[in-house]
Amino acid sequence: MLELQGLTKHFGGVRAVEKVDLSVAQGEILGLIGPNGSGKSTIVNLICGLFPLTDGRVLLHGTDISDLPPHARVTLGIARTFQNIRLFGQLTVWQNLWVAQNSGEQFGQENFLRRWLGGSRRARGEIDRTLEFFDLAHKSDELAANLAFGEQRRLEFARALAAKPSLVLLDEPAAGMNAEEIDQLDRRIRMLRDDGVTILLIEHHVELVMSVADRIAVLNFGQKIAEGAPADVQANPLVREAYLGTATAA
Amino acid sequence: MIDFVQNTIDGVMIGASYGLLALGFTLIFGVMRRLNLSYGPSIMIGAYLGTLIYVQFSAGPVAVVVMTVLGAVLAGIYVERLCFAPMAASAGIASMVSSFAIWMQLEQAAILILPRHTYPFPPLATGAPLELGPFLLRIDHLMMLACALLLSAGVQYVIYRSRFGLALRAIIGNPVAAHLVGIDVKTSVMLAFAGASAVGGIAGYLVLAIDQQVTPMFGMWATMKGLIAMMIGGLGSIPGAILGGLVLGVVEAHSLWHFGPQVRDLVAYLLLFACLVLRPSGILGDAPAAETSIGRRSA
Repeated sequence: MLELQGLTKHFGGVRAVEKVDLSVAQGEILGLIGPNGSGKSTIVNLICGLFPLTDGRVLLHGTDISDLPPHARVTLGIARTFQNIRLFGQLTVWQNLWVAQNSGEQFGQENFLRRWLGGSRRARGEIDRTLEFFDLAHKSDELAANLAFGEQRRLEFARALAAKPSLVLLDEPAAGMNAEEIDQLDRRIRMLRDDGVTILLIEHHVELVMSVADRIAVLNFGQKIAEGAPADVQANPLVREAYLGTATAA
Repeated sequence: MIDFVQNTIDGVMIGASYGLLALGFTLIFGVMRRLNLSYGPSIMIGAYLGTLIYVQFSAGPVAVVVMTVLGAVLAGIYVERLCFAPMAASAGIASMVSSFAIWMQLEQAAILILPRHTYPFPPLATGAPLELGPFLLRIDHLMMLACALLLSAGVQYVIYRSRFGLALRAIIGNPVAAHLVGIDVKTSVMLAFAGASAVGGIAGYLVLAIDQQVTPMFGMWATMKGLIAMMIGGLGSIPGAILGGLVLGVVEAHSLWHFGPQVRDLVAYLLLFACLVLRPSGILGDAPAAETSIGRRSA
């Protein structure tokens, strides 16, 4: 469903991402790994349109979305979480989801007044269900800024789902989590996939990626050096040298 | 004693107009954290267009209201496109300075539209004032007070209860994340400016309908009164804007009675000065200040 063709991004002289080809199939969990500074987060930022491409194209269901602004891409079904949490701290948990919610109708067709001044009962029910799924229902009236760290991570994930995306980009969702929280995250990612949501998972936590991903792509210095099933990638000597090798040494 | 009460009543009524002006200001400065000095002049452009159709085509009051509000909204969007949209959120000073330049431009535009210094503005209600015992209540003053209360309640609802208001507050708290949860940031900010200008346009119409005349200086007057009332009431607080307006109006009314018109403005600025020294966040300014810092912390 998502296809990156020759994706390239240079920041001045730095080649952050260099000619990366990558495709994500409908309903799969694709893990994207690589050492620090290998360009993983830059790829996520390019997919959601945070800054312009130097070269290449981003295709969603075969349509070129490279020139669309970020908010338009969200309405097409791409949502994301952030490595460093970016919640709306002055809004409540419930409001964080509401403001991100996509009513699911075609953009521009829905009634402006209904979308922005009120909200349907159905929409409210959906938010309540999402909060329950992330075990946040009891916090729904708290300000997001007052949540504990783990709760903020869950709220980030919940907010991404409020947009009813068909593709979710998870940027290091396990960062700072303990083993139990990572187990829950693992479970939630699988349930989401079973619901038909496609997931691009960027993660440092190798165990989580190996356990949950259907396929894994490996980046190093902005280039893709391997792609395949978790076991194959793990056995790939290039990968061991670039990433896993240094990880075990450290 | 009768004089004291009558002055207070007059002060509250005039203060309602200051409160309305402050309401539009607080939408932009308090909520968006940007100072739009061209706010008053945008309203003045609307009022000039309203006067134009009144003088040229002897348009009725409804047409004048619509023209004034529409003109203020268009001028407000013009200012937003020119001074605010191209600047990064962090470049608040650049926006403020360019809005000052546009202020001068709008004043000259008004002089081009209608070159005489003063033009008549159609009155709102010409009936005799209501008598309440020894006190007099002007009907147009009462309409002003009613508008101030209704509009502030409406704005409060939109900003704190509606999805559009939440989207605006999300944009202030975290512009990047707002983009990436699907909020059309540019359009939302433009609509906020348009809304603030519409409130200002209504305020401008009511004030001028009571004064029954308009000059290019009205722009500066509206910016000054709105800014002072907002700062006294508390930055970003919607009830504070109205309260600040009322306090300013009452203080002005009493000083006008006791010391005359020259001293009135002196007292207004003294009040602002005292307020800035004793309570810099304004009467009701605590909550929004805390709110912004929470927004920053999570950013």
